[in-house]
Amino acid sequence: MTPLARREFLYGLGSSLGALAMTDLQATEKKATGPLAVKKPMHAPKAKAVIMLVMEGGPSQADTFDPKPKLTELHLKESTRVEGLATGKRFFVGSPFKSRKVGNAGIEMSEPWQFLADPEVADELCVYRGCQAASLNHPEALLHLNTGSRLGGDPGLGSWITYGLGSVNQNFPGYVVMTELALPQAGPANWGNGFLPAYYRGTRLRSSGSPILDLNPPRYKTRVHQRKALDQLEMLNAKHAAKHPQHAELQARMENYELAFRMQMSVPGIVDVDREPKQLQEAYGLNRKETAAFGRQCMMARRMVEEGVRFVQIFAGGWDSHDYLEQGHSSRIASVDQPIAALIKDLKSRGMLEDTLVVWTGEFGRTPDNNYRGGVTAIGRGHNVDAMNMWFAGGGVKRGAVVGATDDIAAKAVEVVHPIRDVHITLLHLLGLDDNKLTYFHAGRYKQLSQFGGELITEIMA
Amino acid sequence: MTRLKRISYLWVAVAFGVTLLPQLQLASHADEADSVLSPVEANRLFTLKVLPLLKKKCFPCHGDDAKDLRGDYQLLNRAGMLAGGESGETSLVPGKPEASQLYQAVLWEGSEMPPKENDRLTKQETEYIRKWIAADALWPDTEAQLQIKKREWQIRENEDGIIVDTSGGLSDDWTFRRYDPSDIWAFQPLSQVDVSRAKADGQNPIDFLIDRKLEQAALAVAPEADFRALIRRVTYDLTGLPPSPYEVFQFRQAWEKGPRQAWQALIDRLIESPQYGERQAQHWLDVVRYADTAGFSNDYERSNAWRYRDYVIRSFNQDKPFNTFVLEQIAGDELRPDDPETLIATGLLRMGPWGTAMLPKEEARQLYLDDLTHNVGQIFLGMPMRCCKCHDHKFDPIPTRDYYSMYSAFASTQPAEMKAEFLPQENRNGFEPKQKLVEDLLAYASSKLAIVNQKQEDAAKKWYQDHSLPYKDEAARKKDPEDKKPPRHVGLTPAERGIKKVREQEVRIWGRRLERYQPLVQSVYNGPPGKFVNGLKLRLPSRMDQKWLPENSILGGGALTAPLKPVVPGVLSAAVLAMDHEGETPWRITDAVQGRRLELARWIASDDNPLTARVIVNRVWQSHFGKGLVQTPNSFGAKGRRPTHPELLDWLTVDFIENGWKLKRLHQLILSSAVYRRSHQSSESAKLAKVDFNNDLLSVFPPRRLTAEELRDSILVASGELNPEMGGVPVMPEMNMEVALQPRMIQFSIAPAHQPSRTPAERNRRTIYTYRVRGQADPFLKIMNLPNPNESCDMRDSASVAPQAFTLLNSDMITDRAIAFALRVKEEQKQKRGNLFPDDSDVYLIRRAVQIAYHRVADPVELKSLLAYLKEMQIYHRKHTPEVIEYPTRVTRSLVEEATGEPFGFVEKLNVYEDYVPSAKPWTVDADIRALADVCLLLFNANEFNYVY
Repeated sequence: MTPLARREFLYGLGSSLGALAMTDLQATEKKATGPLAVKKPMHAPKAKAVIMLVMEGGPSQADTFDPKPKLTELHLKESTRVEGLATGKRFFVGSPFKSRKVGNAGIEMSEPWQFLADPEVADELCVYRGCQAASLNHPEALLHLNTGSRLGGDPGLGSWITYGLGSVNQNFPGYVVMTELALPQAGPANWGNGFLPAYYRGTRLRSSGSPILDLNPPRYKTRVHQRKALDQLEMLNAKHAAKHPQHAELQARMENYELAFRMQMSVPGIVDVDREPKQLQEAYGLNRKETAAFGRQCMMARRMVEEGVRFVQIFAGGWDSHDYLEQGHSSRIASVDQPIAALIKDLKSRGMLEDTLVVWTGEFGRTPDNNYRGGVTAIGRGHNVDAMNMWFAGGGVKRGAVVGATDDIAAKAVEVVHPIRDVHITLLHLLGLDDNKLTYFHAGRYKQLSQFGGELITEIMA
Repeated sequence: MTRLKRISYLWVAVAFGVTLLPQLQLASHADEADSVLSPVEANRLFTLKVLPLLKKKCFPCHGDDAKDLRGDYQLLNRAGMLAGGESGETSLVPGKPEASQLYQAVLWEGSEMPPKENDRLTKQETEYIRKWIAADALWPDTEAQLQIKKREWQIRENEDGIIVDTSGGLSDDWTFRRYDPSDIWAFQPLSQVDVSRAKADGQNPIDFLIDRKLEQAALAVAPEADFRALIRRVTYDLTGLPPSPYEVFQFRQAWEKGPRQAWQALIDRLIESPQYGERQAQHWLDVVRYADTAGFSNDYERSNAWRYRDYVIRSFNQDKPFNTFVLEQIAGDELRPDDPETLIATGLLRMGPWGTAMLPKEEARQLYLDDLTHNVGQIFLGMPMRCCKCHDHKFDPIPTRDYYSMYSAFASTQPAEMKAEFLPQENRNGFEPKQKLVEDLLAYASSKLAIVNQKQEDAAKKWYQDHSLPYKDEAARKKDPEDKKPPRHVGLTPAERGIKKVREQEVRIWGRRLERYQPLVQSVYNGPPGKFVNGLKLRLPSRMDQKWLPENSILGGGALTAPLKPVVPGVLSAAVLAMDHEGETPWRITDAVQGRRLELARWIASDDNPLTARVIVNRVWQSHFGKGLVQTPNSFGAKGRRPTHPELLDWLTVDFIENGWKLKRLHQLILSSAVYRRSHQSSESAKLAKVDFNNDLLSVFPPRRLTAEELRDSILVASGELNPEMGGVPVMPEMNMEVALQPRMIQFSIAPAHQPSRTPAERNRRTIYTYRVRGQADPFLKIMNLPNPNESCDMRDSASVAPQAFTLLNSDMITDRAIAFALRVKEEQKQKRGNLFPDDSDVYLIRRAVQIAYHRVADPVELKSLLAYLKEMQIYHRKHTPEVIEYPTRVTRSLVEEATGEPFGFVEKLNVYEDYVPSAKPWTVDADIRALADVCLLLFNANEFNYVY
């Protein structure tokens, strides 16, 4: 579009900023080409989008979805298990929580889960107890979970997904990450584009302030001001392009400015949960201190998936209970329980759960025993790579199921055992992507999310 | 050290350009397709082609693990194939490939096997299977196979390629496998390329070798670029900075008098400018992954890493021969143990991300050695070594034994902070005030920690009193039984427990930072590891076990728990260069604790090593043309790209070695070629797009976007703020405040906020001097595609993404620079600089700004449009006043206490702001400057500023 034609288009339809915004959005409903254009899946997908809830720190399986009465018997008895890094005396720790079977499917979960226990929610879950991680350290384990590689520098899950499927909404990033105030360990490498081109980098939506860094100009510059600036910029760029007709990259860079301008309007609209009904806000726990932050992010996630975002990841930290297990885990559960339940119900009521996959996981599991910390009996648990639990709900997974099992003290996965890469492969599969074919040539080989391939966890698939 | 000798008997030299002989009877010509092989031929085909293929592509899922056969289908023998899989149908019909599912599957018809795109069989390979089945699918027994293979191993070179002598793989099949000569081109000796014709014609041999290929492709070369494009191009290439308007003016005058002399004089000036070293160092630091912190959980500072950065800049500026540069970085401590400079050089061995948290000692150690082996391989030899950590290399002639030999060459090396006196050439400006700021932060953290500790100990005293026991302090009571001591964190609220952890970590962090000002250096020593090894404090042990000698083995699958055969320290055995051609293991080097690295380095830096010089020559070429002659600069192996101009690469490399490994000479040679001076616009662009879409043949000069560092530096040049001071401790530019104060999780705590340097002069240094934190990249640089600091970056990504527009339009950084630019232009108007008319109006302002930013005169349309815009903005800004934003001297941080899940707050001191010198801000300048700054901002954003032609 020539500058003049666009200006007419923008100013011709209305004078208020709201009207301007509408035209912005309409103006872009043209089909995108380029790296983020929508691509056909490799096979029929079961899910269009994923919302991944990452419980940073490593939730304890025995105290959440894999309760073990045997541990209660063993409580404070000496443990002679040989445990990775641990030195010195160890003792078993029974769960401070009771547990019960909930819903029609009878999934077991610990008592602090109140909202998730609602049959309407619980019967949607597919709890998976057979997963094994590979790194005992938080940053490496997080990188492993989020990028498939412990070393850092590989593309995030969402990068692979947007690389494979493109982005439906050209006015909004296809791969969005939300964190707490503090970034998770290993930081932005958890959602970097790695060796994939930068188009596929995850965008972190900030929980306070401007949702995207520098999305808007300083306050003394209005939107009209910015539009005028962009028109001048276009004048400069058009003159320059005329002198360099063979330089194709120029066009793409010019278009980015227009896309950026549109995003200034579309992004705040999409993330603005205040537009949601009060009742629904309360269902997500936006009115309660302990759940407000995470609830807001869950609600934003739903809105984004509605707008075509492929992969939303929410980090919720504080699960690293080496000590004070009861306080730690009960407060963590209390902060996410209600929002997650509301998210699942909300997705369900809109018919979105069928093709949206919700994943709840940590970066590793926890041990059945603990060491003395500072020379005192600390009621907590260490890091465990041999067992961790996670659950799935929605697009393409079983409903009301428990898959896999650990031994009688939740120390080690023994049934339907799979490494994290198989979870990745399964996620891609549900989205219509084949890990073996979703490859990118880099540094002498075709790289893939799973690194070297692996297998589907068919047991969790519907 | 053993004298280096070229060993000829190990090598059958194959000249460049030899293509594989036709595949004889195995070829897939249509007219031959139906001829059936004789049984002898079929047995040979099976043994040499089909079975290895099955082993590689099929057995992993259909045979190797009898308990886990995919599809219940095993292919280990003919019977299994005949039996077929779970469907019950046979997969093999001898004599009838078309009826055999096995054949259909590898064609990816019906089922797709092997399932990975990566593993898919080539046309040639499926033909082997077809031919074999057609000849009745004969399966000779093992003994017969061995005989066939042994006969084959006698023949060094045949139609399948050549056998390369190495130290030997884990199996004979690997040891005697064959390579396509073009796959191992990099291991072959340099060829002597005849350029006598060019020399006789007075032509630059580069042009001779480039144009020859263009002639073959019948592509016209682009005309020479204009003087303005040329000075901008070469100034950015050599210094990473734009030329000044005055330099452009001068060059124009000289160019008009005599273009050749003007060009030569320009190159000479730039190559001798100190900024040359800064620019070249940036390329090198990309490759070696320079950062000021260690990464991993704690991201502890490497407080003296800056000395290595400055060493690299110095080395380039001194035009240190590259082979010396190699020796110093790999083995400077062994080369000249008492020279601080060479000790600083070994900083290379400390560049990788590394941490010890939650890792068993042996694994942390392995991580360090793996990182060194892999990276020394790819940095210097263009051979990423990670591939052969677990097995013999799949594609290159590098057995896993060589991996562990090189690993072993580093096995006596321990990372440590070593004493190294400051050198007169090192910049120690401002040490005192900077150190004072850190000491102040340390004192603050210590005092806050003392308060919490005091509270705890008061409660402890009370507990002891209540239990009628004598008081013991925290350390003393640690080992006491639980009923004889107060509970952990006695008397502390959950929030205070959190604060204790936070302050303890802060004390460690500031203590560490004070080491910046000590005569220490991130280096290594040879000997046993220290008693406690962690990333926070690594020191030379006071006493060392003199008998300590590391022993290394090939590790099966790369696992410490699976040592296979022992190895001795050594070099890559497939390169034509041996250490000791008399011995049985010509690739071995000393196994003494001292001297391993020096021998390795001498081998790497040898004139006869076919890899090292080619690799650096290629990197230099890339620095001028955007991509190398080998477009995978870190990977010269079979899976890397072939050289587009192998003869040019070899000619340049031979010339480079013969002339003493001098980089400046190499740059001169390249820059004086006609190909470097070409315009980026082709006279036949349609043809170019068809014949040479990627411009590999260089008929035009490839434009490029500025890198993150060049962009920031260029903005500072335009705004007039760039401080050209060189070297010294890292400088801290202002960073987006939200990011600067963003809590960032590290082990036990959050990392301290980014505090900018105190004065504009300190902040506005070149980007190479800015603080590189692995866990927290500067958002401005990051969004402009700053590479990941953990992996060697051999080529910058320049993808344009929309958020770059946000940063370049809206960030505080760009706002401030635009204001500085506006103030500069306004000031110059007063001084009537730039020879512009009229000099007292807004016209001057626009013209001068365009001249500074683009080195040209604003054209009438631009002038008119920008002038109208400026006037409009002057009115706008009179109506819109910016709000004043204050710098915080304290920030209240919030962290979630793990026990309660409650956020708790603590105050972090931002002491630099107590006496801070900000640059001009929107609220400190008037509306006219803000309006002019709007124009300046656009000039920064426009494509013209961001691309080099």
